[in-house]
Amino acid sequence: MITLKEGNLRIPRWNRKVFAVAGGLTNYKKFCPEMKLEEQVMVAFRQMLENNDLKLSPVEIKGLVNFLACGEFADHFQDQLLCEAKVTDYLGLDPIYDIGIKTGGATGGSTVLTAAMAVASGYADVALAVGWERMSEVDTRTGNYYIANAACKDFETRLSRIYAAYYAPMAVRFAWAYNLSEETRAKVAVKNHLYAYYSPYSQQPGKYTIQDVLNSPMSTYPLRFLECCAMTDGAACMLLCDEETAYKLTDKPCELFIAGGSHTLRVADRRDMEIPLLPHETADMYKGLRKKEGQRWPGFESFAASRFAAYFAYRMAGITNPLEELDLVELHDAFTISDIQTYGDIGLRPYGQEPDYIESGDAYFDGKCPSNLSGGLIGTMHAVGATGIFQGIECLWQIQGKYDKFHGDPKIWESFGKRKPEDWKSLQVPNAKQALWVSHAGVGSHVTVGILKKAF
Amino acid sequence: MASKGKITKYTGKPAKVLQSEPAIVIEWPRSLAHRHTYGKLSPFFKGLTEGRLLATRCANPECGEHRLWLPPRADCPDCNQPMTWEELPQPVIGTVHTYARVEYAGAGIELTTPYFQVDVELPGVCTIFKGYLQYGTLEIGMKVKACFRTEDPTNTILDIYWIPVVNDADARF
Ligand SMILES: [Zn+2]
Repeated sequence: MITLKEGNLRIPRWNRKVFAVAGGLTNYKKFCPEMKLEEQVMVAFRQMLENNDLKLSPVEIKGLVNFLACGEFADHFQDQLLCEAKVTDYLGLDPIYDIGIKTGGATGGSTVLTAAMAVASGYADVALAVGWERMSEVDTRTGNYYIANAACKDFETRLSRIYAAYYAPMAVRFAWAYNLSEETRAKVAVKNHLYAYYSPYSQQPGKYTIQDVLNSPMSTYPLRFLECCAMTDGAACMLLCDEETAYKLTDKPCELFIAGGSHTLRVADRRDMEIPLLPHETADMYKGLRKKEGQRWPGFESFAASRFAAYFAYRMAGITNPLEELDLVELHDAFTISDIQTYGDIGLRPYGQEPDYIESGDAYFDGKCPSNLSGGLIGTMHAVGATGIFQGIECLWQIQGKYDKFHGDPKIWESFGKRKPEDWKSLQVPNAKQALWVSHAGVGSHVTVGILKKAF
Repeated sequence: MASKGKITKYTGKPAKVLQSEPAIVIEWPRSLAHRHTYGKLSPFFKGLTEGRLLATRCANPECGEHRLWLPPRADCPDCNQPMTWEELPQPVIGTVHTYARVEYAGAGIELTTPYFQVDVELPGVCTIFKGYLQYGTLEIGMKVKACFRTEDPTNTILDIYWIPVVNDADARF
């Protein structure tokens, strides 16, 4: 679809308001033999029910749930069809209906979108968005091959069998088109590994220097291992409800808006098209964008799916200038380059000026609109089906002022067999009111943009 | 009363225990082959084994997209009408749109690492075509020429590869 018509651009609208009230995570790690998949989901579910200051008992809350959206990326990994039924049973929610959601790396975001639609439509008053992935069922190279099945199997998969190799051409092209240095890419990795250092949930925390990142082994040139997320075992749960139930359950509900966009799996097939403009943008801004030979939008530089999702989500939530109005963002930094590409898609910078979001300091904890204080995918986790839920929960806790409660409590660290660092520091954004998260699949095949707004 | 005549026997291979602490982890072997059709794109894959690069073009005069598609599609995504096949004239020379050097590949890789993956712009084609480079190095904007694995074909997309075009002689068929 090259020319978008009125119907294609209709802004999604909830029939009634939707709220997020609670979330739960697990200890994210590469290999979790001590627990089965459904046992890990239970850890997240218990944290959601027991530790979010909810005003009803866990059993009473379970009595309100009447829909589950279940996110799982790949049956290849779980090697078990209908995991949804096992999980719903294990959580003691039978016979409530659960629908399995599958949109690659965006599965978590799509799961929240599905649960939100259930509440918005009136199908459910209380819906559970739950996601998981058990990537340790296979060795890393086999896992890479499984994930590469999310490239076109006829024309792309055999050409590398690892996903970094589908992002690397984007990194090369982006650097050429928009003047992105390796150091700027490395700064994203340094930042997100560091923020993961303050999180008890994180899998790849670390205090690295730019040089450490640039010296780390090459995955696919130009992307190095410290610029890539890892394989993770883990789960996440988020509780959504209608307005009346939200205030019955918590003093700190957040209103939720979320929308999605899709684009052809093969980047190669992304023909030049007109850029859908965000509320703060004008067509004039992009007159000179295609100045170099062979330039197209979105091409290899940008993601039309992310732009489309942001186009809708901002209008649903009434956001007119994202950088000014958002207090923090959680982006899908599966690779440093995918993180940087997204800055333009969601309007944190105009297209072509993405690196400045990092270089200006805006993206840091003390900056104008910090990104990935959770540690993101590079630092904390990418248990694919859970990722887009985890990101939303980190946004929710920030707005609720609970970063310290969920990251600074030594008991949480100890329950995961970890020790809270002596030099732990709080990454609580003071007085956060609005947060955004991006859940992203493939090389931009499916993307959701979610926005949470303080409603207390 | 149950007959003791027929005993159900275990005919499998005991699962290998990989570790028993802190929990039992067993090996779960998987070895299987899928059947996969190239469907209406079969002429493309046959063409590669014959040294020919086939693309498709929408035949509908009402349609807005009249450039070639490569990877080909049997049906046009804009107007949903069937497309027709066209062979690209030889030699097929393209321009490097972008590239990557694969150093760490996933399980089952059929190429020796490291190697260059290349995304090629071709004249008259609305898409960009991904392949691999047989030798040499790449930069954006340089010319590359398509070559075909007509002997010992793999019957996959690996039957087409690219080589750098350094001078006029390289560009000859
Ligand atoms: Zn057509």
